[in-house]
Amino acid sequence: MAAHSRGHPAMRERGFSPAGTSPYWWIRPCAGPILFLSLLFLFLFTAAAASAAAPEEEKFTEELLLRPLPDRKALAHFHFRSSAPPAASVGRHHHIFPKAISQLVKKYHISELELSFTQGRWNYEQWGGFDPMSTNNAKPPGVELWAVFDLPLSEIDATWKNLTHTLSGLFCASINFLESSTAFSAPRWGFKLNEGNLRYGALPREAVCTENLTPWLKLLPCRDKAGIAFLLYRPSIYKGYYHSQKLKLRSSQSLGIILDQTLTVVLQPNTVSGEQLHSNHGQLQPNWSMRHLFNRKLSGKCLVSKSSRVFIEVDKSIVDNVNKSGSDLSWSNELFVLSNSPDKLIKGQNHVEIQSSFLYVYDASNYTEEKPLDVGITWKLPLVWTCTPSPFHASRFLMGSGNERGSIALSFMSTNLHKQISGSPTDCSIKAVIFQVVPWYVKVYYHSLEIFIDGSRKTVSEVVDKIHVIPSEDKLLPGTLEMLLRFPCSMQSGTLTLDFDKGFLHIDEYPPDANQGFDIPSALVSFPEFSSARSYPEIDPVLGSPLLEYFQEDSVVKSYTEVLLVPLTTPDFSMPYNVITFTCTVLALYFGSLLNALRRRIGEEERELKKTELVSM
Amino acid sequence: MAFGRRSPRSSRHPPALAIVTALLLAFLFSAAASSTDAMHNNNWAVLVCTSRFWFNYRHMANTLSLYRTVKRLGIPDERIILMLADDMACNPRNSYPAQVFNNENHQLNLYGDNVEVDYRGYEVTVENFLRVLTGRHESAVPRSKRVLSDEGSHILLYMTGHGGDEFLKFQDSEELQSHDLADAVKQMKEKHRFKELLIMVDTCQAATLFSQLQSPGVLAIGSSMKGENSYSHHLDSDIGVSVVDRFTYYTLAFFEKLNMYSNASLNSLFTSYNPSMLMSTAYYRMDLYERPLNEVPVTNFFGSVMKTLHTDSAYTGFLAAHDYATPLSVGDNLDDHFMLKDRSTPRRSNIEKEAQLTPHGWTEVLLEQLEGKNTDTVVMYGLGGMGILLALSTWLSM
Repeated sequence: MAAHSRGHPAMRERGFSPAGTSPYWWIRPCAGPILFLSLLFLFLFTAAAASAAAPEEEKFTEELLLRPLPDRKALAHFHFRSSAPPAASVGRHHHIFPKAISQLVKKYHISELELSFTQGRWNYEQWGGFDPMSTNNAKPPGVELWAVFDLPLSEIDATWKNLTHTLSGLFCASINFLESSTAFSAPRWGFKLNEGNLRYGALPREAVCTENLTPWLKLLPCRDKAGIAFLLYRPSIYKGYYHSQKLKLRSSQSLGIILDQTLTVVLQPNTVSGEQLHSNHGQLQPNWSMRHLFNRKLSGKCLVSKSSRVFIEVDKSIVDNVNKSGSDLSWSNELFVLSNSPDKLIKGQNHVEIQSSFLYVYDASNYTEEKPLDVGITWKLPLVWTCTPSPFHASRFLMGSGNERGSIALSFMSTNLHKQISGSPTDCSIKAVIFQVVPWYVKVYYHSLEIFIDGSRKTVSEVVDKIHVIPSEDKLLPGTLEMLLRFPCSMQSGTLTLDFDKGFLHIDEYPPDANQGFDIPSALVSFPEFSSARSYPEIDPVLGSPLLEYFQEDSVVKSYTEVLLVPLTTPDFSMPYNVITFTCTVLALYFGSLLNALRRRIGEEERELKKTELVSM
Repeated sequence: MAFGRRSPRSSRHPPALAIVTALLLAFLFSAAASSTDAMHNNNWAVLVCTSRFWFNYRHMANTLSLYRTVKRLGIPDERIILMLADDMACNPRNSYPAQVFNNENHQLNLYGDNVEVDYRGYEVTVENFLRVLTGRHESAVPRSKRVLSDEGSHILLYMTGHGGDEFLKFQDSEELQSHDLADAVKQMKEKHRFKELLIMVDTCQAATLFSQLQSPGVLAIGSSMKGENSYSHHLDSDIGVSVVDRFTYYTLAFFEKLNMYSNASLNSLFTSYNPSMLMSTAYYRMDLYERPLNEVPVTNFFGSVMKTLHTDSAYTGFLAAHDYATPLSVGDNLDDHFMLKDRSTPRRSNIEKEAQLTPHGWTEVLLEQLEGKNTDTVVMYGLGGMGILLALSTWLSM
């Protein structure tokens, strides 16, 4: 056994167990035909049993949503969903669902997991902060991982560590840096309400490139060879202003495992020339189509997918403008024309029953390689619109100078959204939840929290309803802050400040590019009273679009702040070498002179020298 | 009295000692014999770029060029460990996102669509590099980050970056020294982690990095000798930095003419380097390598081409009875492990020899004993036992 395992480890691990098959030597004397017949009966039985007992099977759907953005860019959102029914009915065989994910879920007892790789910052002012797209797909830069485990609390930290290693191998990223306790935190209600089995970690400086997309695409049944994923031309994705690939897993006994993979990209269509990039008054928005965004056209669906659709979404403001101009929202109206006629039209509403968006649906199965789908939009009249923002624009910055101390400031600028939604009652208040994790070397003094509303200082108890702090411990834990605040609706600007001291790191703990500085991950600001869910009252539930289901899920309005870069004191890294050199020189000089003084007899040496001279003469 | 007693004792003990030494020698010979009989059945590649920052774009391009070559000639991603110390393709300074070029004509996008980088960014450290070579990882480290080689593997180890006399600099913060590398290779050899190893180094004074190697089966080539620098090939004015080093550029020029079915030899590769074009002397050492270089095809290291012989007989596992040949259809995916079975006779004897080794006696007992116990106490007991044995033998020999 040991010879087998030592000699051929790779072979054994691939699931090939030659030793597990029954030895053939005692079957061989039996006749071949008997063996064949018995195998045939067995096969028929299992096929019958399987077909009788399998009401559910694995499903895969793919969807793409395209939307024009007010600042002359285009948003493309890919959504792939694979679902596997609960284990009892199907067993461990998968034919569409990626086995790597189901093994991950079973081994680590995950009930929910979300892993996102993001590059760029979501521009909340221009691209919206109130719709399901921005609340679910605007993620902090770098890697963000959170997971909810179905395990006793004492085992979760060890499982989290193993999970980070597995994910780092699966997605070619350094997610294993989240394994140490200084990198992750366990929020109770600031991020998501849980009973202590949630762990959250973020790596703001992680690079995101093709090597992260490659294994992500390998989880799809058609990879990037067919269907909607075929559009993913790497140079155009990574040239975008924002791209975020996300993997979301949900697993339960009743539903099985649902895997949602989404890729959100904000691109500049290559029809835009230089001087058109930023002017947005009096000029037509750029006309673009899928070919301009991706260099490719969609030539059919992935054959194993249950449905494959492309949506073009126009925002509330465009809808309002079209309605104002009197025409109806068909695919060819006074403001814009779509290049193909859609198969379906869907109206969306936000949570206050106002029509918020309009979707044109194209079914990719109607198109083939000879007749590919290249849907696009052509503008007829210049149009300027804005996307609905969140109630406050949240941003974060550093104050102070020097390498000893500083302050973190969180500022909220009102967007007067509440006036649009509910008139303007004067005694309302808007709740906001702040969740922030700060690494241990930025030692925040939570008692120094100061709150300013419209320039005047307020006491903390006036504004803060609930606060939960896990203070940082040097080299052990990061500092976690969860706060529930109540701002008056009439507030125009509010600021929170927290003082901190900068800590010292051991020389081994500095990264190789230490002079760049150290990152404080993004803070999350959510507004629990505002829901960003959409509803689509006219659609047939049988339409079965996971993207629309996703938009209909109840979720609060969220926004992430910027990542902060903190310069810490860096030592002179050549000092160890210098110290060793100086010390060795001093020691050499000291011991050398000492030994010389003790052992060397100058007089004797001279006499020896004279003697040898005499002898040699 | 001492004299009287000494002679019968000394006449009794030398035969016992002789028997013990004879057994030990027989054991060692069998062990050695079985390891040299292992056939070459898989290829691995460990490609390391140790430099960070944008101006070291060319080191990344070097490593990615080798990655592309090695993939093109057949080694799959599962058997390549790619370590890139920085991200150039999606670097904000790269005006061609997701594209890395090794030539200013921009004809070849080395990054392509299917890249899998195993260690990247801050993970490329000397510690992780040595762990990858020796296989001593923590238990949580996933399989895609390990070199799962065995005694039939040929490993290509390519390192590029900034180096000097007997060292290679990792990411501006630590160095790998030549004796560390030699140590790691020695550990690999003792653990039977390779059959043959080719080390290719493209740094300044590259030949000094493998000057301390002593393990057999190792072949090494460096781009320059002690006291010489290795130079970059050309500057790409569009990207703004040099895009490839000379040694790798000419290596690639050699490989771009090949495909999987070529049988160019290592000798032709090593003699294709022209010192005046490289502006340094490419030095290789073959004193530790038994086969003559003109008989070794380059695809033995840079590709993954196995000689397959198709048979019709049934497949049997390695532990089951040795009387059956292993079938292998040429269309079988993945594994070049399964060598074809006209070699059943030498393999059978190989297996029997292997089977003789391990189930036998004291190794199994020792492993069982070590299962539950604290290894420190076992080591202590072992040392104590050895000390007693030593004392006894010196007393007896006096």
